[in-house]
Amino acid sequence: MHTKQRSTRFKWRSLVAMAATATLLLTGCSVGAATTAVAKHDLVIARAMDLTTLDPDRGYCDTCQIVFTALYDRLVIVSPEDSKTLQPGLASTFTANADNTQFTFGLDPAATFSDASPVEPKDVKWSLERLANIKGSASYLLAGMSSIDTPDAKTVVVNFAAPNSAFLAIVAASYLGIVNSDVASEHGASAAADASTADTAEDWFLSNSAGSGPYILDSYTANSAVKLTANPNYWRTKPTFDTVTLKEVTDSSSQLQQLQQGDVDIAMQISPDALDQLKNTPTVTTAAVDSFNYTYIALMPGAEGGAPLADVRVREAIKDAIDYDNIVKTLVAGYGKLQGSPIPNGFEGSEKVALPSYDVTKAKALLAEAGYPDGFTISSTYPKIVAYGVDLDLQMQAIQQNLASVGITLELTPVDFSQWADVIGGKGTPITAVYFAPDHTDSSQYVQYFGLIPNGGYVANFASLAGKTVNQAEVDGLTTALAQTGAERTASYQALAQLMADDVNILPIVNPQLIMAHASDITGVTYSPCCNVDLGALGLTK
Amino acid sequence: MLRFILKRIAILPLLLLGIVTIAFVISRLLPANPIASLVGERNLNNPEIVAAAKARWGLDQDLFTQYLNYLGHLFQGDLGTSFSTKSSVTSDLLSRLPATMELTIVALLIGTLGGIALGVISASRKDRFADHLSRFFSLLGSSLPVFWTGLVFLFVFYAQLGVLPGPGRLSARIEPPANVTGFYTVDSLLAGNIPLFLDAVSHLILPAFILGWGLVGTISRLVRASMLDEMHADYVRTVRAKGLSDGFVMRHHVLRNSLTPVVTIVGFAFGALLTGAVLVEQIFSWNGIGSYAVGATRTLDYPAINGVTLVGGAIFLLASLATDIVYAVVDPRVRLA
Repeated sequence: MHTKQRSTRFKWRSLVAMAATATLLLTGCSVGAATTAVAKHDLVIARAMDLTTLDPDRGYCDTCQIVFTALYDRLVIVSPEDSKTLQPGLASTFTANADNTQFTFGLDPAATFSDASPVEPKDVKWSLERLANIKGSASYLLAGMSSIDTPDAKTVVVNFAAPNSAFLAIVAASYLGIVNSDVASEHGASAAADASTADTAEDWFLSNSAGSGPYILDSYTANSAVKLTANPNYWRTKPTFDTVTLKEVTDSSSQLQQLQQGDVDIAMQISPDALDQLKNTPTVTTAAVDSFNYTYIALMPGAEGGAPLADVRVREAIKDAIDYDNIVKTLVAGYGKLQGSPIPNGFEGSEKVALPSYDVTKAKALLAEAGYPDGFTISSTYPKIVAYGVDLDLQMQAIQQNLASVGITLELTPVDFSQWADVIGGKGTPITAVYFAPDHTDSSQYVQYFGLIPNGGYVANFASLAGKTVNQAEVDGLTTALAQTGAERTASYQALAQLMADDVNILPIVNPQLIMAHASDITGVTYSPCCNVDLGALGLTK
Repeated sequence: MLRFILKRIAILPLLLLGIVTIAFVISRLLPANPIASLVGERNLNNPEIVAAAKARWGLDQDLFTQYLNYLGHLFQGDLGTSFSTKSSVTSDLLSRLPATMELTIVALLIGTLGGIALGVISASRKDRFADHLSRFFSLLGSSLPVFWTGLVFLFVFYAQLGVLPGPGRLSARIEPPANVTGFYTVDSLLAGNIPLFLDAVSHLILPAFILGWGLVGTISRLVRASMLDEMHADYVRTVRAKGLSDGFVMRHHVLRNSLTPVVTIVGFAFGALLTGAVLVEQIFSWNGIGSYAVGATRTLDYPAINGVTLVGGAIFLLASLATDIVYAVVDPRVRLA
């Protein structure tokens, strides 16, 4: 018995010793892990990713813009210095005819895909037709395209039934990357008219790419990471980094911590509040850059319960009752701007629209004139999300307080995005809050979505008590603008911006700046309205 | 015994069918629209794009047809294609399940062993400082929400002290091992890559501890109470009268007999840990079933929601079955009942 007790005690002591050793080992190794040798030619980016596919013709998201730009070169590109200037991409020349119905691209003879095969007109024709016929989310960009001709070995001609001066800007959008048609077709891709049902290549694109961009797809794990490797056959200046990994890090504070610890090189969604914390980190560079993204509230009289909003004076009163400056100050720590119309600051047409101002006295007077001296009660359903650093829930709570000061009781119902879509697709909601980010650099997209035009966005469905509403001046104005270029077009978009502002259906609230935070030795971290961040342009200080 | 086990196994398919049916119906009855996540907000008003998306994903069919199609595919082992990842739900789940299982099993070990150890300390030092400290520690584990402790521990041990790694299963610049089991700790050892193994283990410490801490509280209190009861039992007095040492009596008689109820708790705790893993995986960027479930719910990804429900239900049922079997082995009266 005695021997057995000693034996048991020995086992217990051994176990304790082993556990202690393991603990020490693990603690030690954790430090070791954190200081794992960093290969500076392997760039790691922390980002809350919204990727749902890597098929360039089916994808439609902010992260898609980054990844597609890196994998698939476009015919033309947006100048990094000036978003209104287009530069040669795969096409060394690009022209439009006088009435903006025909666009001719001369392909650069040096352009090659990642398998070293040349980029040919048939690839351009196939890629644009696939995007249009697959009827994915970005297909709308090619609405109105009537035909594509390939008259010789280096020329592509794209024809439209009606003038479309926006097309050159659209061609620079990340969703219009050119795909190696031979390779993609071998794996089930189709550009035929029935591509929406016949195309079976989406699964292949989850682990392969077939483009001519600076990077090629190495691997993708949904909700975890996308890894790109440098394209060895890239036909322009080779990228600096051997690999780029976009790593899923959902929240801003985790991105901040990982950047400070050196685990990642770029954090893409740092909260403005965190900027102060980074000022004391010498290895990190931060910058607040202007963006073209914004949050807005939509006022929709035609939605159930929206009758008080039918009077434009009520909508004006709501516009005047909102303390925009305070919202910018509290929600994005002052890193944001006000915006006058649905066409955002910096886009053609935004120049002359007055910015909103906070005037409670005027708001009360307008409400009294409209027959609501004591205000009214109205509901608001909106998606409970954080868009570009703006928490829509907090934004609506601030607006709720503002409206209370003029007697309007705003009942808030934050919901999931899919629930919000169900509401918008049904009876609507009198007031909602959402966000908007551009797909390309032309102002037409704002009129097409926010203007009161046929086939416009959801707001037109509820813009008056009659429900679906058309503002003929906006319809005509858009038609005119799409047939123009230069100063004439700018004047048309300025008029359209004012018309949409006068509708008072869309009230932009915050145009937030983007907080770019990265390791100090990384260069080229800039924001582009078409493509977000151009990974091919990133480099290292010498 | 065999008959008992077979009876329990025989009803599993029916239970799973019930789970799948309820999940299918509830997800479809929600006042929400999955099309928003498929086409984006901007195209909700575009009839051509919406129609193409509905046709592609079978959402243009009536609910009953959708259900029959789903069951038809399910019986062939096809859980459908995820709206969000565009991969088959089966492959999504198979790739993520090991991550969740690795986290949950380690959390279960921490919770069980830690709980038993603290329970023994508390019982053997009743009403002394060690007992109070142990109970306070257990109380914290049971009371604090994992999303809060997760963020605080990350801030302290990763961001401030730098002694433990941050979110993720591996460090950002480290490649995962060749996939054999999907458990990074196991696969790295199979590959003979010790630094990778240590990195994987170090990344497990925080999330597994936070997930298992609540279980520590539950088990320690249970063990403490059971041991205190057993310590006053007649047979304990008898073995002590025979001259055995206190330590030996505690380990070989009191503790052993106090552990029977722990078996039941551990079985059910496995299900609870899987539930808790949803939050922990979100905080620690752990690409497991939990984070997959959260993403699926947000986007109303029907196939993924149903797949996660089916797998979660199956794991829970199997854990319950295992508990019943173990309990039946430990306590023969269960079989008679």
